[in-house]
Amino acid sequence: MITQDKIDGFIRKIPPSPKILKVTLMFLEKGELVKAAQIAKEDLALSAYLRVLVNKPIYGFKNQVNDISQIFGILGVARSQQAVYNYMITLLSPDKWKLFKLNKTSFENLQADLSANWHKILVYLNINDKDIGSSITLLPASVIVSEALFREHMDEVSLLRSVHAIDLNTILVRLCSIDLFDICEQISIKWEMSDNVALIIQASSGIKPTNDVTLNNLGKWMHLLLFYTLSKPNFIEAGLNDFIDFQIDYAQDVYDDFSKVMDL
Amino acid sequence: MRAVVKSGVGVFTPQGFLDGNSSSTFISMEDIEATIKLNADMILVSLKKVIFFNRNGLDAFVKMFAKIRTAHHTTVGFCDYDYKKFQAINKFYKNELNFCLFQSQEIASLFASSFKNQNKNILLFSPDKSQSAAMAIELHDNGHNPIIAQTQEEFNIKIKAQNAYDIIIKDTYLGQMGQKVATRVTGNAIIYSVSSFLDAEIGNTFNISYHNNSLNVGFRLFIFEAYKVVSMNVHALNFFSKLASSGAEYNATICFVGLTFEKTPLSFKETLEDSGIMFFNQMDDILKNKELLEDLGASSAANVKTKRVLNKVLVTELPNFINATVRTIEMMTNAKAVKQSVNINKIEILEKENKIASSIGFYGDIDGMIILIFPTGIAKKACELLIGEQTDDEEMILDTLAELVNIVGGKVKTLLHDEGVNVDITLPRTYQSIDALLEVAQEKKGVQVELSFNNDKFLFFLTR
Repeated sequence: MITQDKIDGFIRKIPPSPKILKVTLMFLEKGELVKAAQIAKEDLALSAYLRVLVNKPIYGFKNQVNDISQIFGILGVARSQQAVYNYMITLLSPDKWKLFKLNKTSFENLQADLSANWHKILVYLNINDKDIGSSITLLPASVIVSEALFREHMDEVSLLRSVHAIDLNTILVRLCSIDLFDICEQISIKWEMSDNVALIIQASSGIKPTNDVTLNNLGKWMHLLLFYTLSKPNFIEAGLNDFIDFQIDYAQDVYDDFSKVMDL
Repeated sequence: MRAVVKSGVGVFTPQGFLDGNSSSTFISMEDIEATIKLNADMILVSLKKVIFFNRNGLDAFVKMFAKIRTAHHTTVGFCDYDYKKFQAINKFYKNELNFCLFQSQEIASLFASSFKNQNKNILLFSPDKSQSAAMAIELHDNGHNPIIAQTQEEFNIKIKAQNAYDIIIKDTYLGQMGQKVATRVTGNAIIYSVSSFLDAEIGNTFNISYHNNSLNVGFRLFIFEAYKVVSMNVHALNFFSKLASSGAEYNATICFVGLTFEKTPLSFKETLEDSGIMFFNQMDDILKNKELLEDLGASSAANVKTKRVLNKVLVTELPNFINATVRTIEMMTNAKAVKQSVNINKIEILEKENKIASSIGFYGDIDGMIILIFPTGIAKKACELLIGEQTDDEEMILDTLAELVNIVGGKVKTLLHDEGVNVDITLPRTYQSIDALLEVAQEKKGVQVELSFNNDKFLFFLTR
């Protein structure tokens, strides 16, 4: 069904991050929001994306924000970086989704939901780290990778899952000894994201905890946040709820705090 | 969401958070109806991967449960929960708990109509004495040996006896059970358990599709265990007479065991006997009498009706059958298949050692049976994708092989449907040895295709 060659082919085709984004991120890294905004404005698609993203209801801004300098100013360095990474991830998404019932808007909604709630969590945990803030942006990449690898095998997956409760990530591991989160890590390496981003993402799979207690704890929060988000009707309808296995035991010990943050 | 159906139990497994908004999106009535069509007589929602639920979240399922139970006589409920979740559900539905709660799927399967693992020693405890009794009766009826702990203290003591019990039941509640006629397989006989008053309702509670499937895959002896039947009316009489007539085409035998005629007119017995139905006092009168079993057809599962030859339609569709099989095995093993030879003849298996087999029947616009013979190595490899690890557990391999053959059957159904040929598939059957397979298939003529997967030989046989 899916072979190592196919996975290698997918990884090879991941484009390097565009120059404008690299420079924007470089200025954001230095905390130079104005210069970052000036560069970002040159990429019309990035500008349009940022406008749509921050004006989504979950970001909670009362007035429409259109100017990129204003957007970066309101978001601050960490969340601006997160927003640019979110845009980069969309560059990998297909024009037309087949495996999941998603489209451009619903995928962006997924990104926005995850990013905004991740911000809430980091505020609660009193963590102010740009890279940790940006780590959430890589999570939806696992959805894109699933789509890319499994879209031509929908019937087979469907038949397999009609006789056995098995998630896409497990199928991939059993067929090729590599999982969706390993591929996400490859993306983060190619795009020169911080090492911690990959570590948190791997931990957030729920099946590969890391020895670093802090990062592992963040992995638990992210795992729980993912399933909190994927339990929303629009994402259930999109077929996202069971694309990976929810490791309830892994996330259990942060659940009480999570329910406080999310007002459950 | 699709349910996984195994041994007549359909299980939906939502993940994450269940509230009033999400629940109805997880499972729809259409999803449940589709599951019922797969011969599920128990529909459960697993809470194993649910970390949060509220009353509104469960209500959406409970409403669907009520509709499904009324329409299909299906057992419905929740399973796979811990003590905290069990308590929460009890609190939400204190006086209106009319669905079932099974602590695990394994426990649920003990109460299913199409259960297969019998003779288990089961320790059970419920603080509600009527529940303990109800569970014990159901378990006993299903061929198990239930041991009731009367108190929590007794349960705590008994549970310490390691290996004394195959299964321990606690935190389980039997709501309204489905009223489907329970079915089990013993050797080559199918046993149906019926009880109380038999009337026109038997037409709804008896799984005629399962019965027909069993005929199609070669079962010839069907026993109605009727110790607890009080009486039957003319509608039930007609039902059984028709069942016997339709089975005669397959040379099948229907027997009643333990049926008394104190409250049923004796003339009914004569009518049933005229239809070919036989009566026995005890189950052992049949099952322990080898000669009788042979006479009744249970010593061999050969399907007499199917002394039929391949027809043109079936041969025309042969590429679809092979394609479905090859693609499934390729998917499961990630190995390429090479077709080696094709013969039309009786099935021929030169090497019988280290091989296992499985079959699945199909019927509708065309009918027939696919038989797959695996070297144990390929079977294990193919099952690894579903099991997740290498195993030598024969029972697990055979179970998984049945799932694999089910996938092949599903694929055949889809491929044929695309060409306007509509078929339904039977339940899969597995054979521990080639000899067991040959009992069913050695006289059948069909197309034998030899395939090679990484130099391992694999046999495909299509017959009618």
